[in-house]
Amino acid sequence: MAEPSEYLVHHIQDALATDPRARELGVDVQVAGDRVVLTGTAATPAQRAAIAEVVDELTGGYEVVNEMAVLSADEDGPVEELT
Amino acid sequence: MTRIAAVADIHVGADSVGRVAAGMRHLNERADLLLLGGDLTRCGEPIEAELVARELADAGVDIPIVAVLGNHDHHAGRTAEVVGILGDAGVVVLDGSATTVGVGGMTVGIAGTKGFGGGFAGANATAFGEPAMKAFVNETRREAAGLHDALVAVRPRADRVIALLHYAPVPETLRGERLEIYPFLGSHLLAEAIDTAGADVVVHGHAHNGSERGVTPGGIRVRNVAQPVIQRAYRIYDLGEPTVREAPVAATG
Repeated sequence: MAEPSEYLVHHIQDALATDPRARELGVDVQVAGDRVVLTGTAATPAQRAAIAEVVDELTGGYEVVNEMAVLSADEDGPVEELT
Repeated sequence: MTRIAAVADIHVGADSVGRVAAGMRHLNERADLLLLGGDLTRCGEPIEAELVARELADAGVDIPIVAVLGNHDHHAGRTAEVVGILGDAGVVVLDGSATTVGVGGMTVGIAGTKGFGGGFAGANATAFGEPAMKAFVNETRREAAGLHDALVAVRPRADRVIALLHYAPVPETLRGERLEIYPFLGSHLLAEAIDTAGADVVVHGHAHNGSERGVTPGGIRVRNVAQPVIQRAYRIYDLGEPTVREAPVAATG
């Protein structure tokens, strides 16, 4: 029997926190059918790819859909007055 | 006009080289002070702290920098080395302590601590039962007490006071996070300490899926500057012009 998706989500999040390639707690993991969908924000493009790699290795037959964003380093933006 | 740049959760690792520096090249012209609200590194390894220092140097940041550590900075158990490396790079790291910075014609006091979890009023952990549960809550109490005392100590020396945290003091800036994880994202004990001691603004990070703006029960503005929330290299807040403070009136009678 396939692992219930609730346990799989937990195992994926544990792996993402502890695997040296990922080290990320902020990944939202959803298991839907034969897909694992990843959302959230990675620090770099390399970390984003590594997270998907870790999940792919762990889940085997699931399709990993990586919808994670990458942190923006854009300097522009409005100034908020806090006077 | 005193402009404070703030960001948290930059999570610098070996693959981050150049990314932080690229986002801070114009910081000196845009702000008078940089606040870093924890999770500067991915795992708290000294090599990662060295990368943070190098990024700040490569960007040419020469405004004062004040930081607190986050949970990621604690992971490797080498915080003393991390703090030492950041200190050598000119970053003042607060931990239940405070500092003052003279910028924009005023003295800005910053009281900072990492903070910890426990949840929020009505749905919070209590120091009851197993030793692990008591230790969890007492860790937050210790952090809150340190912040309170640092705020009280710095207030008489500053025109404006900022409370700098990693964990959240209010649930408003967690909007967007799953309710189930709120107890791991912050504690109302931190807000209570801030409201009791007084501050003008609270800056924190940690909640990547949260919201930028909130307020403490006492009416102090709270800003979550986690980089995934602000979606830019940093946010800038203008604290305005220095105000003339009235001398305290001696008690009579």
